[in-house]
Formats: sequence, C-alpha cells, structure tokens
Amino acid sequence: MTRAWKYVGAIWLALVVVLLYLPILSVGLASLANTRYMRFPHRNWSIGAYTDALSQHETLVLHLTSLKVALLVTVLSVILATLGAMAFARYDWRGRSAFQKVVVLPIFFPQPVLGLALLLFFSALGFTPTWKTAVFAHMVWVLPIVTLVISIRLFGYDPAQEDAARDLGASRWQVLREVTLPYLSPGLISGGLFAFLLSWSNLPLSIFTTGADTTLPEWLFSRVATNYAPVVSAIAVIATLASVLLGCVVILILRLIDTHGIKGDGDHG
Amino acid sequence: MTQQKLGLLFMAPVAAFLLIGFVSPILIVGWYSLMEPRSFDLNTVFTIANYRSAFSDGYGPPFFWSLSFAAVTTLTCLVLAWPTAKLLHRFAGRGAAVITALIAVPIFISESVRLFGMSLFLMPGGGILAGSMRALFDLSIGSVLNTKLAVYLGLVYVHFPFVLFPALLGVALIPQDRIDAARDLGASRWQVLREVELPLALPGLVIGALLTFVLCIGANAEAAILGGQTVTVLTRAVEQRFSYAQDWPMGAALTMLVIAMTAVFVFPALSRLDLNRLIRR
Repeated sequence: MTRAWKYVGAIWLALVVVLLYLPILSVGLASLANTRYMRFPHRNWSIGAYTDALSQHETLVLHLTSLKVALLVTVLSVILATLGAMAFARYDWRGRSAFQKVVVLPIFFPQPVLGLALLLFFSALGFTPTWKTAVFAHMVWVLPIVTLVISIRLFGYDPAQEDAARDLGASRWQVLREVTLPYLSPGLISGGLFAFLLSWSNLPLSIFTTGADTTLPEWLFSRVATNYAPVVSAIAVIATLASVLLGCVVILILRLIDTHGIKGDGDHG
Repeated sequence: MTQQKLGLLFMAPVAAFLLIGFVSPILIVGWYSLMEPRSFDLNTVFTIANYRSAFSDGYGPPFFWSLSFAAVTTLTCLVLAWPTAKLLHRFAGRGAAVITALIAVPIFISESVRLFGMSLFLMPGGGILAGSMRALFDLSIGSVLNTKLAVYLGLVYVHFPFVLFPALLGVALIPQDRIDAARDLGASRWQVLREVELPLALPGLVIGALLTFVLCIGANAEAAILGGQTVTVLTRAVEQRFSYAQDWPMGAALTMLVIAMTAVFVFPALSRLDLNRLIRR
C-alpha cells in the first residue's frame, strides 16, 4: 500500500468509528440539559436530568428488573453452553455437524418473531408472562451464542492434557477442576459477558415476553416512541455506562488471566 | 466412555432446551395458524382460511417493504464492511485491535439507546446535527427523520457490525500469497477481487449477509423510532393482528409465512457452510 492509500484507509476507519458513536454521543449530549424541549446547543447545560433520574424510584426498579433477568440468563446459559460446547467442539461423534447447524438456528431467526412465538407458546401453556418468562426467552437466543463463544476456546484445547493428568493418577473430578475448567475459563468468562450484555440490552424479545414487568430497553423504547424528556436520555446514559463499566472490568480480568497465565493454559505452555 | 456416547450426553441438555424453547413455540404458532379466525383456543378442527386471507388481505406492502429494506441494507452493509475488514486485516496490530473493539462495543448497547440517539441526532430544529449546523455555520438544514431514508440509515447503522465481524473472519481466510501470485501473473485489482479474494472470503460474507438479511426481515424498532408513521414493516403488521385486532390465528399465519421466508434463505446457506473450518483457526 502506498503512503497516500494508508492515509485514505486510516481516514475511512476513523469515519466508521465516528459514525458508529455519533448517535451514542448524541444521547449523552441531550442528557446534559433539563429543558422540556430539546434545543441543541443547550443554553443552560446542567446535570439536572441525572439528579431527577436518580431520585425516581422507577429508575431503580428498571435497573433491578434488567439485572435480575441478565444475571439469571448469564448463569444458566454459561452452564448449559459449557455442556453444549463439549458436544460442539470437543468430542468427535456422529451427528456433530448436524448439531452444530441446529444450535446456531436461533441466531439466524428474526428476534421479534421469536418473541411473538414464545408469547403464544407461554399463553398456550397457561403461563402469565413475567420477567421469568423473559429469562427463558432471552436464553433461547443467548444460549447458542454463548455455546459458539465457548466452542471457539474449546477448539484450541488439546485433549491429550486430560489423558496425561489421568495417567498421573488424577481422578475424573480432578481432571475437570484442574485441567479442563482452568483452560476453558477465559471462554466461560467471555461467554458470560456476552450473555449478560446481550440480555441487558435486548429489546425485541423483552417487548413480548416480560408481561407486566419492564426492562430498561423496553422502557426506553416506549418513552422514546411517545414523549421526549431529558430524564429518558439520562437513564439511557446510566444504563449504558453500567454495561460498559462491567465490560471493562471483565476484559481487565481476562487480560490478567492472559498475562499471568493459569495452570493448564495451552496458549502459553 | 466413547466419544460417541460423550457427544450425545453433552449435547442432550442444549438440544432439549432448544426443543422446548425454539421448536415447540414454532409448532404452537403453526397450530394456531390453522384455527378458525379470531378464536383463542387450540383444537383439532383445522382450516387454511387464515393463509388464504394472508394472501388476499393486502399484506403485500409490509412484506414488500421489509424484504426491500432487508435486501438494500444487506447490500449496503457488505459494500461498507468489505473495505473496512480489508483495512483492519492489513493494518493488523495494536491500532487495528482497538478499532475492532470500538466497532464491537455498540453491538452490546441497546438498540433502544442507539436508535434514540440517532433520532436525537437527526431531529429537525433543535436536534444535535441541525442545532450544531445552525450554531456553527448559521445554516438551517432539513431533516430526514420520519422518512423511509431514516429507517434505512437506522438499519444500516444497527446491522453494520453484524456484517463486519463475519467479513473479518472471511478476509482472514485469504492467504496473502494467493493475492501476490495473482498479481504477479498480471491480474488487475478488479480481477484479484472478483476471482481470488471474494470467493475465498465467501463463507464469512455469506454468514454476515444472511444474519443481516434475516434480522432486517424482523426488524421493527428502526421503523418505530426513526420512521414515524411512514412505513408499516412486517413484524409491526403481524403484531397488530395479535394486539389491536385480537386475531391470533391470523397473526400466527403471518408469523408462519415470515418463518418460512427466513427458512428459505437460512437452510440452503447454512447447509453449505462448514462451521468447523470457519471458527477453528
């Protein structure tokens, strides 16, 4: 690549990033005034919308509902996906390639349609939708993604390590605890992060499956579509910052695992 | 235990979950779609009346708009993602890793937030763009908010990362020496692209395109937040059958048609892809 092309390339990439963040930045800018109508540039910049948001009980309730759902989705998905990933990437068995294709189907499925189908399913079974049914709905979509994430890690695993440990007298349980799981842990942590963030931010499934409960994205969607208020922007910023913060912490943990290494980590062996 | 037994044992929980959570809801929808119009119970008196009215009752426009939006969005995303993926691959290193991460972050920020931000950005008068233009250059500009163009921009904005990441996987499948060899043999830039790069990167591009196309068929938040009342997309039309019209069997029939449409694209593409090769590096 010539020098000139390098500049063009760098400008293109910068443009892509800037355009991706402009709308997100716009929410932040809009939240910094507490006027009834949005008139940018603000005459009076203020953090009034944030104090309003923090003083409303609803803000807390929304965050707690989303948190409950996301935490349960994370724990349950990681457990199930770890098992699924073993079948997906570790063992060589007849039917594996069919299994691999079936597992990813829910990802290639329009989410609002899945939400509607699940709503009908719950009502046919006589379940009243609540945040608990939303956990189930989120998992239908999140579990395949987490299975893929853990499988990617598992593809790099050398099963001979287990045999070696077994030969040295380790029990099945010890092999799992001291060889397999430590190697898998970065995959489990990133899988868990994916699960949490995707559930936390999900709109199309929640809309149909939460019943009378409301998650953050749902509430934002209903308020955005009807009436603008700066407090909506402020809550959007708070919810987003919470997930970004969590993401940063988890990525930091992954870096630490990566640099200090852990027992059984094949990458650095 | 043999690998065969272990494989079956470990796949069982996930398979059972998806059977309950994914397959049975679709079957229930299929069952509802065969019930008498406007009934709420499931029984064994089947009718295809709902499908008949699905084709005759003017659902053409929602199908047309959702499919058109999906096709145009997929194409746009591919055209934008290809050079981006090539550049990220070429600049491989710390800088590229940071940019890749920056592009990934918005995937995890709620659609509600991102589309809300887009509407704040595009808002006429006091919006971020229009307001800045007026303050900085004393320029008053119009707004595309509440038009089909805004819906299209929103769809491209939301789905771009879904094409980019599979495209990156695809680009990584192209060995540089193949490109060099084609060049040495006198192939033009265009010929290299068409005859070497695109075919080799195809699996990644197919996954990205398929994902975007399918997600766009179902997308309704973009039209709701950015489109005003200008267009009724497919899932909106279906949802209205369930909510306002209280006609579940009709809604279910439309849902089945959307699912069938999705399947027509997903099955042939997925059956030809080798996921093992693409994921394992």
